[in-house]
Amino acid sequence: MTAEAIEARPVPTADWVTIEDLYRNPFPIYRKMREEAPVHWVPAVNRYMVTSYEACHVVENDQEIFSANETNSLMKRAMGHSMLRKDDPEHDVDRKSYGSVLRPKAIKEHWNAIFQQNSDKYLGQLKAAGPGADLIWEYAAPYAAENLRLIMGFHNATQEDMQRWSQTMINGTGNYADDPEVWAASEKSYNEVDDAIDEILPYLRKNPDSSLLSGMTSMPIPLEAIRANMKMTIGGGLNEPRDVLGVAVWALLSNPEQLAKVLADTSLFPAVFEESVRWVAPIGMYPRETTRDTVLEGVQLPKGARLGVVVGAANRDPKVFEDPETFNIFRAKKPHLAFGGGNHYCAGAWVAKASVSGIALPQLFAELPNLRLDPGRPAVDAGWVFRGMTSLPVLWDNKK
Amino acid sequence: MAKISFHHSDGNVDVLDVDPGTSLMRAAVTNGVDGIVGECGGQAMCATCHVYVRPEYLDGLPAISDDEEEMLDCTTEDRNERSRLGCQIKAGDDFDTIEVDLPASQI
Repeated sequence: MTAEAIEARPVPTADWVTIEDLYRNPFPIYRKMREEAPVHWVPAVNRYMVTSYEACHVVENDQEIFSANETNSLMKRAMGHSMLRKDDPEHDVDRKSYGSVLRPKAIKEHWNAIFQQNSDKYLGQLKAAGPGADLIWEYAAPYAAENLRLIMGFHNATQEDMQRWSQTMINGTGNYADDPEVWAASEKSYNEVDDAIDEILPYLRKNPDSSLLSGMTSMPIPLEAIRANMKMTIGGGLNEPRDVLGVAVWALLSNPEQLAKVLADTSLFPAVFEESVRWVAPIGMYPRETTRDTVLEGVQLPKGARLGVVVGAANRDPKVFEDPETFNIFRAKKPHLAFGGGNHYCAGAWVAKASVSGIALPQLFAELPNLRLDPGRPAVDAGWVFRGMTSLPVLWDNKK
Repeated sequence: MAKISFHHSDGNVDVLDVDPGTSLMRAAVTNGVDGIVGECGGQAMCATCHVYVRPEYLDGLPAISDDEEEMLDCTTEDRNERSRLGCQIKAGDDFDTIEVDLPASQI
């Protein structure tokens, strides 16, 4: 054994953690765990949860020891074997098939105009619903879904299809209870997405555009990989911009002093975005599996250990972020882990920034005078693997 | 071994000896050099490994690819004629010795 392994301590167990508590508010739980050790065995989750910033950073930069290709992965069952559960070099082949569709130049040349049209449309829908409407379900969700539908090239589906596919397959990836109804809904979406891809690819071959699926028609990549990667993108590209948008609005409306400064200087919206994803990472935890016995930040882990990399906890590590539980757009700039890091760094990061802080947030605050929370109906934030606003009723002054 | 000197904006210098094939970004991240983030692991996707290459070392470097070109327009500190992404420059292939100045911020 190496000196490091001899000095390493056994992994502590956190048997006091429950899924219900995590779902309601994981942050006090993460704080308690982080203070005790960087990694815990958590029986309720059936994983080793990695909660310190440094430990999460080490894991995501070492695919040799911490593999993304998890055994018995629920995500593989729900969506197929996508690039998110592959290591390099296999991962890199899939990743390159996305080409430049999600990169800044394409966003500038193609997507920003489409995001603007979609924001206009669903802001119109929100206004028509009137003060008291739920900002998530009247605006953020359909906006994110319609943007994703067009980026991906699903011209034969609706934004409602995208929302249903995304949620039911995400529920499948988290179906630890093996609920047959959850699997049935997930599998139905799986088949619908495959059918939609089979139908649209020949169309896009004849009518190419700037979309991901159109790009796939000229890539030397097997259909199975395309299908799995498209499902992963439906799951990973919809709730996340929706949720960062919802959390950002909620956080600003809950912090009037910061809101006043943002309204006086709209160049602060990118800082609002970064602080929102740090404060509440839309994807709070993702899996890895050890390929051998190892020591992570002084804690022993066996080969085959199923890890949960809790970036939602790392982003509130006081060793990196001062006063980490507080939403503060003026905090010292530090790299957060909300988009992941290393080779699995979020491919949609630039799209999220452009659509949320470039278009949606400025437009919402410009066109809804005196936007504010509804004191009669409190906003609800929930979740831990995925976290965001499940309800955000808002009021504003109708223009006379 | 190749030699990289990272000149920080406060005047400090980190000098590393690295194996051929190692990118400037990877060398910095592995050795804990402050001032290089390298969020995306080297895919020319995040623009957080921006460096200013000292003029005498610019000539030996490979041409800037389309992806790198695009990302250099997204850096936090302004791009200049010495700007490169550390992930696109590899020891051995591209240099035996190099000196770079680090921007004040990557994010």
